[in-house]
Amino acid sequence: MDHYQYLILMAACLVATLPLEALGARVWRQPARLARAVLPVALVFLIWDALAIGGHVWTYNPRYVTGVDLPFRIPVEELVFFLAIPVCGILTFEGVQAVARRIGIKL
Amino acid sequence: MTGLGYTVPAVASVAVVVGAELIVLHTGLFRRAAYWVAMAIVLAFQIPVDGWLTKLSAPIVLYNRAQTTGIRFPWDIPIEDFLYGFALVTGALLLWQYQKGVASEHH
Repeated sequence: MDHYQYLILMAACLVATLPLEALGARVWRQPARLARAVLPVALVFLIWDALAIGGHVWTYNPRYVTGVDLPFRIPVEELVFFLAIPVCGILTFEGVQAVARRIGIKL
Repeated sequence: MTGLGYTVPAVASVAVVVGAELIVLHTGLFRRAAYWVAMAIVLAFQIPVDGWLTKLSAPIVLYNRAQTTGIRFPWDIPIEDFLYGFALVTGALLLWQYQKGVASEHH
């Protein structure tokens, strides 16, 4: 299980934010808009990641990743991170507004 | 701390994201209370998640100390990670809001 630690952590983030969609966040229900928000940012961070890995700025512990790499030795977990974390952030932003609407305040 | 190969791009990434909003995107996100509430929540969740990724006792991500300020707080989180996280989440939120503006604008 150790090799799945990073992926499990990302899955936990997505599961933890899922109830916000049920509260009315409407993020997963706008997949095209979500893709246009998340994918360009993920691409920039993947390029940054490739440069940082190539420049020995950071490395990944082989014990806690699957060992599946993208080009430029980027662990697949990093792609998952760059997709999952922005989705969680957008769900939080829309979730805050959904909860505010429910209690009758505008944020 | 000699190379600052993480510190310098982390600061630059925040400048790029803030500059993109002020110069190009003009979504008004930074004037929204919901954004700042959401970012406070994101920060509160970043600490356990990032803390898990970076803990020195069993790190998933390992940083080249020469490329950072060496300041790690709270726990073992490199402080650069907070700039990195801000840029990642805010970048996606800006594009998310930009899509909304594009969809609802009537000229």
